[in-house]
Amino acid sequence: MRPNLFHTTAFRLSVGYMLLVTLAVGVTLGSAYLLTESLITDEVDLIIDTELTSLEEKFARSGVPGVTDEINLRIDSWGRIGAVYMLADQNFERIAGNVTDWPFEGMPSERWPEFEIATIEPGRRAVHPVRAAVRTLPGGDLLLVGTDISQGRRFADKFRLATLWGIGLSTLAAALAGFWFSRRLARRVGEVAETCEEIMAGAPGRRLPVAGARDEFDALATSVNRVLDRLEEQAGTLRATFDSAAHDLRAPLHRLRTRMDALLLRSPPLEPGVHESVESALREVDHLQRTLATLLQIALAESGAPLGAPASVDVAALAGELGELFEPVAAAKGLELVCAPQGPAVVSGNRQLLAQLLTNLIENGLKYVPAGGRIEVGVRALSNAVRLTVSDNGPGIAADDRARAAQPFVRLASGDSQEGSGLGLSQVAAIVRLLRGRLELQSNNPGLRVLVELPA
Amino acid sequence: MHVLLIEDDTEAARFLVKGLRESGNTVEHAADGRAGLAQALAGAFDVVITDRMLPHVDGLAVITALRTKGIATPVLVLSALGGVDDRVRGLKAGGDDYLTKPFALAELLARIEALVRRHPAGAPTARLKVEDLEFDLLARRVTRAGRELDLTARELKLLEYLMRRAGQVVTRTMLLEGVWDLHFDPQSNLIDVHISRLRQAIDRGSDQPLIHTVRGSGYVLRAGGDA
Repeated sequence: MRPNLFHTTAFRLSVGYMLLVTLAVGVTLGSAYLLTESLITDEVDLIIDTELTSLEEKFARSGVPGVTDEINLRIDSWGRIGAVYMLADQNFERIAGNVTDWPFEGMPSERWPEFEIATIEPGRRAVHPVRAAVRTLPGGDLLLVGTDISQGRRFADKFRLATLWGIGLSTLAAALAGFWFSRRLARRVGEVAETCEEIMAGAPGRRLPVAGARDEFDALATSVNRVLDRLEEQAGTLRATFDSAAHDLRAPLHRLRTRMDALLLRSPPLEPGVHESVESALREVDHLQRTLATLLQIALAESGAPLGAPASVDVAALAGELGELFEPVAAAKGLELVCAPQGPAVVSGNRQLLAQLLTNLIENGLKYVPAGGRIEVGVRALSNAVRLTVSDNGPGIAADDRARAAQPFVRLASGDSQEGSGLGLSQVAAIVRLLRGRLELQSNNPGLRVLVELPA
Repeated sequence: MHVLLIEDDTEAARFLVKGLRESGNTVEHAADGRAGLAQALAGAFDVVITDRMLPHVDGLAVITALRTKGIATPVLVLSALGGVDDRVRGLKAGGDDYLTKPFALAELLARIEALVRRHPAGAPTARLKVEDLEFDLLARRVTRAGRELDLTARELKLLEYLMRRAGQVVTRTMLLEGVWDLHFDPQSNLIDVHISRLRQAIDRGSDQPLIHTVRGSGYVLRAGGDA
């Protein structure tokens, strides 16, 4: 299974990393911006403060005319660039200075009020921001000193723009790097996961790609490949063991059966009584053989040896055929066998194994449901699985017994008198495991409901 | 029939040879793959029965070698391996039928008979006829003495299988494999019930039954009395 990119650890780490980069760059540039801005205003404030103090001193020495002279002098001659002065009376009427009208509504409340001033420059009209301070002189006149801060403003604006771009670009870079990084990681992890799935689905020879980059993924792939080699080898050994066990157990059974067959065919024929005994012994041999075959199949399935070559099987169609096959037998036992598959429902598996699974479940029903009962086989295709249910209204299995019902040789009280090896449900469980599905025994209120879910 | 049996288990082979001979066949026996292959190449056999696991040359290799030489003699594989994949592998190698040990001698006899008599080469038949029972394969219509019978799709398939092997014994497992494509034995007496339904449809009201039970083996469709 290839994990969704947005759910990967790499993606989450990348998102975290991106946020961290944004935060770090933001804090660094942001504080640099704030610091620079305050440095600029601090300098402006200091100049204004110094000039105000010197003008106040002038006032103390020579009154309004002295201050007016001083202001005019500063405006006309050597005054600093961008300086703004105004001396006004209590009614905010101009007495002197280079501002025509009082720029505020009455007395400004802030300590460092700002306003805009329109100036006529050669060829164009400009509006300049001004930062100022106002002091009330003894006698009630007002003294305003300000500085054109448009240059500082422009600088601060550019700095802010640069800061925002800086944050934006580094976030974008971090996001791209993170996306690339998580894509790469997700792809390599996905390759591992996909290969493992393929192996489980019956390609035991597949191995993880080693890119040759000698990175941690190559190290991981190499280790996993070694594990896979080992597993394949073990599966092979296991298979060989099962094959020889099957051979060594079947060969004597085969000789026994052949001898008995020869006895039955002998001329002159056996006495009727002996003939009958041999025939019933033969039936026992067949029963033994069936049990053995089932056991071997369960053991092989449980060992995890993968299925040879899985093919697409329509479980709905198969259930329909088996329903038709078993219907007359069910009818003869007074049972109603309903097979209502809503097909098609295709899984990757093996027709014989799936047929065996269904057969065992139906035969269980035939065995345990009393006459007049009903067995229902349902098949439904879900989004990525096929749900198969065999439900009946027979005696069911007590809740406590359900877990062990699928273990080999377990026979529950109600069925003890019946013929059967007690392997039916364990074989079903083994087949479900082999096909990587899910088996659940439920109550059908009343009766038993066997639910099998197989991956599509 | 002229049968070659390749089987390394001498005791099992002895009884098999005996059983095959008593059923009217001539049998040659080879105890390993190499000898078996040599004999199969030398003599004209109607059918070869080979064990899967053999010393020297394995049973599947024998079949592959035969097929490579262009010898189309039907081959039945006997095997102690009964897994779902084993059968497929046996047939893929060029085997015509696969029987898991232990098996009933009657089963083996019915199967080799079916293999040898398998569809004689020629034009595909459009019509099967046994006595007054006629099967129009194209229209999927069956008549008995001119009267049309109402059969289900599966009953038609079952009848076709029997009619194509008219006169031969057909076992329950052959029917399960051939008609239902099931290669394992359900425990229920499914086939008997289906045959009895078909018999009802075919033979009811007729004084000459066509479907006969062969005790200990299976069924046969033919005119005339019980076996």
